[in-house]
Amino acid sequence: MTDVAEEREVEIDTKRAARSQASARRAAIIEVVVLYAVCIAAALVLAAILVAATGGSWRDVFSALLDGSIRRPGRWGLTLGTALPLLLVALGTIVNARAGLVNIGQEGQLLIGAACATYVGVRLGGPGPVVIVALLLAGVLGGAVWAGIAGALRYWRGVPEVLSTLLLVTVAANAGGYGLKNPSLLLAPAAGRANRNQVSEQLADDTRLPRITVFGNEFPISVLLGIALAGAVAFVLARTVPGFRLRMLGRNPRTAQRAGVSATRYGMGAMLISGGFAGLAGAAMLAGGDFGNYQLVPGFSVNIGWTGLLVALVARERAVAAISVAFVFASLRTGSGFLAATGVERRITDVVQALLVLALLIPPAVIYIRSRRRALAASKDRV
Amino acid sequence: MRNITKRYGQVVACSSVDLALEAGRIHGVLGENGAGKSTLMKVLIGLAIPDAGQVLIAGRPVVIADPIAAAELGVGMVHQHFSLVEPLTVWENVALGGVGSLAPGEVRDRVGDRSRHYGIDIEPDAIVADLPAGLRQRVEIVKCLRRDPKIVVFDEPTSVLTPGESEQLFEALRRVVDEEGRAVALVSHKLDEILHATDDVTIMRQGAVVDRRPTAEADAAGLARAMVGRDVSLRSERVALGIVAGDEPVAESSETPAEPVLAIHDVIHRTPDGRALLSGLSLAVGPGEIVGVAGVEGNGQRALGDLLSSLLPVDSGHVRVDAADVPCGRAGAMQDAGIAVVPEDRHDSGVVLDMTVAENLFLADLARVARGGVIDGRRLREQAQALIDRFGISCQGPDAPLWPLSGGNQQRVVLARELAHDPKVLVAAQPTRGLDVGAIEYMSEQLQAAAAAGVAVLLISTELEEIMELSHRVAVISRGAIVGEMPRADVDLERLGLLMGGMAEATP
Repeated sequence: MTDVAEEREVEIDTKRAARSQASARRAAIIEVVVLYAVCIAAALVLAAILVAATGGSWRDVFSALLDGSIRRPGRWGLTLGTALPLLLVALGTIVNARAGLVNIGQEGQLLIGAACATYVGVRLGGPGPVVIVALLLAGVLGGAVWAGIAGALRYWRGVPEVLSTLLLVTVAANAGGYGLKNPSLLLAPAAGRANRNQVSEQLADDTRLPRITVFGNEFPISVLLGIALAGAVAFVLARTVPGFRLRMLGRNPRTAQRAGVSATRYGMGAMLISGGFAGLAGAAMLAGGDFGNYQLVPGFSVNIGWTGLLVALVARERAVAAISVAFVFASLRTGSGFLAATGVERRITDVVQALLVLALLIPPAVIYIRSRRRALAASKDRV
Repeated sequence: MRNITKRYGQVVACSSVDLALEAGRIHGVLGENGAGKSTLMKVLIGLAIPDAGQVLIAGRPVVIADPIAAAELGVGMVHQHFSLVEPLTVWENVALGGVGSLAPGEVRDRVGDRSRHYGIDIEPDAIVADLPAGLRQRVEIVKCLRRDPKIVVFDEPTSVLTPGESEQLFEALRRVVDEEGRAVALVSHKLDEILHATDDVTIMRQGAVVDRRPTAEADAAGLARAMVGRDVSLRSERVALGIVAGDEPVAESSETPAEPVLAIHDVIHRTPDGRALLSGLSLAVGPGEIVGVAGVEGNGQRALGDLLSSLLPVDSGHVRVDAADVPCGRAGAMQDAGIAVVPEDRHDSGVVLDMTVAENLFLADLARVARGGVIDGRRLREQAQALIDRFGISCQGPDAPLWPLSGGNQQRVVLARELAHDPKVLVAAQPTRGLDVGAIEYMSEQLQAAAAAGVAVLLISTELEEIMELSHRVAVISRGAIVGEMPRADVDLERLGLLMGGMAEATP
């Protein structure tokens, strides 16, 4: 074949390819929507069956969940306040996941952050706004240090961060417990608590996060901070040089090393940021008012760290998507408070939540497998 | 094996090859990379179905459809790359291939018994992950021999072994042959081990058998000549394609310049288990010079590429660019010093498949399209488009993902990025592997153009034709060191073959 003929053929091929690609893209979008719809429907049907099996009515349950999360007066404000720490944890998780690291110890990092924030918030005197900023920063620092331990073990001793972050959750729980037993650390003076309770002193009124009221719904000002941070994380990852280098590290560490991205420096940075977000979540829970009474109590973290991980997972590592996912997960949490009236076990929402997570995770997996298979088939055609 | 022919597309990997393995003898199959040795063995073990020809075992024609059928016919193979389950123990790995019920005690005893019998002592209860490469290979051997095969194929068995371990391996091989009357095929590209360990030798080149004789009648020089071949046929094809101007190779600047741009001095790197990947490698490349590093695969080429990609720290020695020390193994150091690399495996360290074409074009160099740390999307796309046009990268545009691009186009992306830096040194490792003729041609042009512009070019390749065609100077790498250098004009194929085969003492 002559060169000219060959070139012409290539050109025709390219055009044909472009056309078929456009229609393929449309088909792909439809496929994605259908997949998600089917999966979510399947999860809801399963949940309904479960509710029916435990003697409840799924209509009542659904309605109660809606009431508890958004419909009743003041409830969506509470849901927003609940969603905030979930979002913050998820944002941190997104950062480390993009760098190719698996930090699953947010529950512990969050608790340490909350403990540090408590200490600073109670002990540091001064004008309220200064103390608020200081206690939030203390939370960030505490969480970052806790994740940093796992990071240091990973980069200097080769300990897999999956294990160390997870195990440090237990250490964090015990460290927090120790602090709450010790008057020189977190334990409130005897006068301020019922005798046998191990709780910290309450934050003073002027060191609590201001609350905003919109249409009778009240939520802490930190919710706005959270949304801004989600935008910032998305921007940094997508549009800045450090974000780009972090993604490069996550996708191909060897290419990154060659291009000047030190795994230790950037990976460690990602761990610190990730822990910092979890710690900030803890501090915001403490000072926000939607979790307990502005004081640190045993079991303070109430699974927010774990659920935040799921939020990141379902949002598929996209910071902006994490906002709405965090709201959905928070709705299940606040909605479950209204389930008692339906006579259905409150923990059913955990099952619903798990089913939803599964439902939302199946489509990406299916899409991934399919696209791989197509690529494989295409590469075979080329040969 | 009679008249075996196997084609892959238009490439004939084996053409009418005959091979006879006799019980009680070790038969060496010698050849360069791509000579068809592996394909021939794949046919024997059932991993490839021949297009023509037949396999006879004990005089009976047989059909070997897959490795299981091969095992039933008494053919076993010890592969170059191990297929062991690392977290399991030695005996568990050996038992894995079996069928039916498992008798742990019996297998364990047998493994111990067999390994002692062959003089290759291994502990049946050791965990495979803890074993060095040499011992892992012994596990493979025991695994293979447990099925009592009549014919055993060893594919490049010494490529992961130290010289001492190789010696032990050959002793065990001898025992397998002498005491049990098995037939052994030893596939290798190392002259010394063929001479040392085999009874007969078949030499292959470009898919055909070029010579066959008892090893006793062979000598290193003759084997080298037969393996490398006098005529470099591909070269003439390229002349026909108009890539090379004429007959004479480009060889004006044959002397080593006084001031090398890239100077590697006595670099040593050992793996944690003590194998030396680079064992005192020294090499200098001057401005405008193309130095070809020739050698048989697995002799340190990959480590050399990694070294110049900031991926390999050194135990001793140093790398200098323009007489300034470059810290080895520090992220980005080599690149910052002006070393551009077209890596051997671009998916490993050349591109990020999940990023876009534009992103891949600016992986290390975002500062040029960013302001204050924020990437200017428009500038990124514009500059990327300019590179796409300049290097003729065929893709849907700068924002297209990289992974669907063909190998040749991905290679162009790498080349475009690396040359856009105005590098002082360009390292091209196996730059044409897996590419079609057009892409190969393009790659060659680019390397020559870079040299003409004063860049010091280091071409690492196992394709001798490529080296001969492009280089001003040829250096031979063997066992992690440069064992000989010669100007292109003075290349003596026989000596080159000897050097590549690891006969470093040979004098010209």
